[in-house]
Amino acid sequence: MTDKKIVIQTENVAKTYHESKIPVTALKDVDLIVDEGEFTAIVGPSGSGKTTLLNIIGGLDRPTKGTIIIGGTDISRLKESELIDFRLHNIGFVFQQYNLIPVLTARENVEFIMLLQKRSTHEMRERAMQLLKEVGLEEKANVRPSELSGGQQQRVAVIRALASKPKFILADEPTANLDSAAAGNLLDMMARMNREEGMTFIFSTHDQRVIDKARRVVTLEDGKIKHDEVRT
Amino acid sequence: MNMLAKIAWRNVWRNKGRSLVVIGSIVVGIWALIFMVGFMNGFTVSYINGAIQHEISHIQIHHPDFKKDYKIQFTISNGLSLAKGISQEPEIKAVSPRSIATGMVSSPRKAQGVHIYGILPEMEKNVTHHDSLLSEGTYFGSNLKNPIVIGMELAEELKVEVNNKVVLTFQDEENNLVAGAFRVAGLLETTSPSINKGTAYIKMEDLNRLAGIGQGIHEIALFLSDPEQEPIVMDKLKSNHPNLLIESWRTLAPELELFLSMTDSFLWVLFGIIMVALIFGIINSMLMAVLERYRELGMLMAIGMNKWRVYVMIVIETIFLSLVGGPFGVALGWLTMNWLGRDGIDLSAYSEGLREFGYSSILYPSIEVPTYLYVAIGVILTALIGALYPAFKAIQLDPAKALHMV
Repeated sequence: MTDKKIVIQTENVAKTYHESKIPVTALKDVDLIVDEGEFTAIVGPSGSGKTTLLNIIGGLDRPTKGTIIIGGTDISRLKESELIDFRLHNIGFVFQQYNLIPVLTARENVEFIMLLQKRSTHEMRERAMQLLKEVGLEEKANVRPSELSGGQQQRVAVIRALASKPKFILADEPTANLDSAAAGNLLDMMARMNREEGMTFIFSTHDQRVIDKARRVVTLEDGKIKHDEVRT
Repeated sequence: MNMLAKIAWRNVWRNKGRSLVVIGSIVVGIWALIFMVGFMNGFTVSYINGAIQHEISHIQIHHPDFKKDYKIQFTISNGLSLAKGISQEPEIKAVSPRSIATGMVSSPRKAQGVHIYGILPEMEKNVTHHDSLLSEGTYFGSNLKNPIVIGMELAEELKVEVNNKVVLTFQDEENNLVAGAFRVAGLLETTSPSINKGTAYIKMEDLNRLAGIGQGIHEIALFLSDPEQEPIVMDKLKSNHPNLLIESWRTLAPELELFLSMTDSFLWVLFGIIMVALIFGIINSMLMAVLERYRELGMLMAIGMNKWRVYVMIVIETIFLSLVGGPFGVALGWLTMNWLGRDGIDLSAYSEGLREFGYSSILYPSIEVPTYLYVAIGVILTALIGALYPAFKAIQLDPAKALHMV
């Protein structure tokens, strides 16, 4: 179907939670392939398994059954410490909120993951400032998150995720707390990065604006993929 | 590590109120600890120094058989010239040769057993400073014939005052009972109950004449320039005079050393109690900080900050709290010690009771420099220990759950 590299491949992934007396099956035999450069939204009603699937793809949770292969590595077999290191070098995250470290400036937040990756100070500084400039936040480089608007914070979160050059970016309801204008700006920015840098984005979302922008929509229902729509 | 330290330092000031409460508790805890240590040290020093300065001196020399029965025959051979020779040594600040007898002192009203010291007043006062401890009268300065200086409590017991007569009775060299009349020249008020109640001082010439021992002396008391030199001086004296009994204050009054080590132990226990209290305060505060930041910590672990870095970040933040409070506490303690060490604490309201136990009524708190170092180390250890549980809690969290906490 495509010559593009496969970034994410899940095979028979299932997840059952045993935290209460009655086990809860969040995912049932999910097979999903995500290619490089996709701009994909995973949608579904509450309880459909979106968050669980995203957590498993992001290495934040382990499947009860099945395999997750990210860039050729089966992360379901990695130890916890290896998983943390894998996330650091391969996966970018944008959360609904609490993305940024409150006591660091915008620039320091963008540099943070590169710092954990032990990049040089010069490289970190240069990349951080370049990205801040690309999203129009160069003048806010030395400002703390509390002095940024919600939209500005999310933009900083996206470029922080990008700064480390991950294989893909997982965004969990990134526009949920934003007004229309801010949400629109954020989406445009991510779409531009997808187009220009070829960065793969996977969203978990209820936001119709995100769904409209996505080129592929995977619909989950009762822990299974109900629809998988690729838009041209 | 720099970034972790930067985040940790800034996190300390995220909740200024809470951090200041913890810092304040560290300051007050350290300050109180230093004050208590200084106060107890002051008591100890007062007790021990009082005993050494006014009673036993640093070192005493005797005939080896004298202290068995205090028999007047056991004088130190060439004692006076020996005392003069020792006084030339650079480590020796003052020397007092003494002749000693045990007998009775009697007044028209009462009689009592007493230790009688025959002294050379000009040399004795340099060792015991009794001339500065007179509550009444003079220290052998008047023209009285056969002057005697006794303790105030002994005077009260005998119902005598300055210028009254008392009679001393004791055995001479030939075991005959001899007696002499003496006129009270001065009344002593020292920190030593045994001096105040049971000692009399007369001129050496008077005691020796009655005892028939000529120039004989029974004791040489030495006061050192530097008390730390005591072991060296002891070794030198013992090797130069192997036939004499040479004892330091530790042997003469072992209860002083016991008191010293008991006070030391008590202070270490106090130190431990205050540190434990601080640890719990720190645990409480840091645990609140960790629980408040659960989602933030979950985010950090999600994006790739490993558990070790999270752990270290919490520990560094706790150490920073202590490093802010510790120096202030130590500085306040130091200032307090300097002030009180110079002016003293006036406990004269309790002087009677204190004197009974050998303490002076003005207490000068004191603290040795290494104690400040122990306190500083203690503060850092407290932070390290206090950080363990909160940091452990932090790394136990599940990032996926933490991120979705409500």
